[in-house]
Amino acid sequence: MELTFTVNGRTVNVDVPGGTTLLDVLRGSLQLTGTKEGCVEGECGACTVLVDGRPVDSCLYAAHAAEGRAITTIEGISTDGELSALQRALVDTGGVQCGFCTPGFVITLTALLEENPTPIEDEVRAAIVGNICRCTGYTQIIDAVMETVEGGR
Amino acid sequence: MRTLEFRTVTKVDEALESLSQLGDEAQVLAGGTDVMIQYQRGELHPATLLHIEGVEELQRLEQDGSVTLGALVTHRRVSRTLADRLPALSEACATVGGWQTQEVGTVAGNVCNASPAADTIPPLLIAGAVVDLASGGGTRSIPLEQFVLGRRKTARAPDELVTAIRVEPLPPGAGEVYLKVAPRSAMEVALVGLAVRLQLDQDRVVTDARIATCSVAPVPFRVRGAEEVLVGSRLETDAVAEAADLLRAAADPIDDVRATAAYRLKVLGPLLERAATIVGERAGGATRWS
Repeated sequence: MELTFTVNGRTVNVDVPGGTTLLDVLRGSLQLTGTKEGCVEGECGACTVLVDGRPVDSCLYAAHAAEGRAITTIEGISTDGELSALQRALVDTGGVQCGFCTPGFVITLTALLEENPTPIEDEVRAAIVGNICRCTGYTQIIDAVMETVEGGR
Repeated sequence: MRTLEFRTVTKVDEALESLSQLGDEAQVLAGGTDVMIQYQRGELHPATLLHIEGVEELQRLEQDGSVTLGALVTHRRVSRTLADRLPALSEACATVGGWQTQEVGTVAGNVCNASPAADTIPPLLIAGAVVDLASGGGTRSIPLEQFVLGRRKTARAPDELVTAIRVEPLPPGAGEVYLKVAPRSAMEVALVGLAVRLQLDQDRVVTDARIATCSVAPVPFRVRGAEEVLVGSRLETDAVAEAADLLRAAADPIDDVRATAAYRLKVLGPLLERAATIVGERAGGATRWS
């Protein structure tokens, strides 16, 4: 079944069976492997992408449900090779360790900052309950967001 | 494995036409947070995934006397917009998975999935929820209590679509809460869930009580015996303890990977006590600040 949508501003057309997940299309058909496959049941958030600006677990989102929609993956967050302010802050604070969860966190937190550019710490914590990190203990990730918020003031 | 058809509809009529043609060969798909997991695990074998997420008519969220939740109203929309009128439902929606799940997962989907642990069902039950269904043959409405029939089993006929869930918002002077027992504060399936709505008069006497629970039986349910005990009380320790006994007696929990039946029974009583305290404080909000 054919499917057309945009990924990071580029229009793509793929032909995959009905019931294929958006994650499999991104990583398999389109070779956009920045988005990670973790639990495949909506627990870990490693596969988070933006669907029309909304954070969604792409492992549970049907590819064909994305028909005509705009998808943003981690590959679409930096511009011309320049990290976003949030990405830079994650590097600076030690919010990136093994890195497997990082794309999902960056996507979820980018959605948060888009919706609310000046979140308080509790709002940051609430936003990332669906993203699991086993390295950092989350503190450095939250620090990175608060640093980004401070830097943006 | 046979080829799966993915069919997207944008009108209720188109959905009903597909359902009358396909019946139980079709699996209705909205946000997919339950359906896609079950499909990938091989627990569902539909010929067609009927994708309704783009049906505008089902997005409606109306607040006049009652509150009408169109079938596509998401958990996030409820927790963001109905915290005042439906506090317990808002609290429940805020605990269904994380942001990613709440963003696309729907209340109607949570109900239709008919999990014994469905977080939204106890708060909907205490709000007198009615489920609106449509088919090629017309429409009908049934109380939520008669809609969920068993684990993963509802009264929806194969050619029917749930179009909305209607609920009674919190009346003036009443209070309600949804409490969930789980090892962590987020991303958990309820070991026990409890929703309580109480209406108090000026003398702090309970004039209406509604109690519903999940994860302690195959189907979430209202606990009428316990409700009756609280009506006429001032939430005295003895009255709440008697209601807790009736709540435990009505429960029929099982041992599973998350908790033992004995544990579930043990926490029910203290959970009701905590709920009664919170709702007692929340009810009569007009005088609370004076």
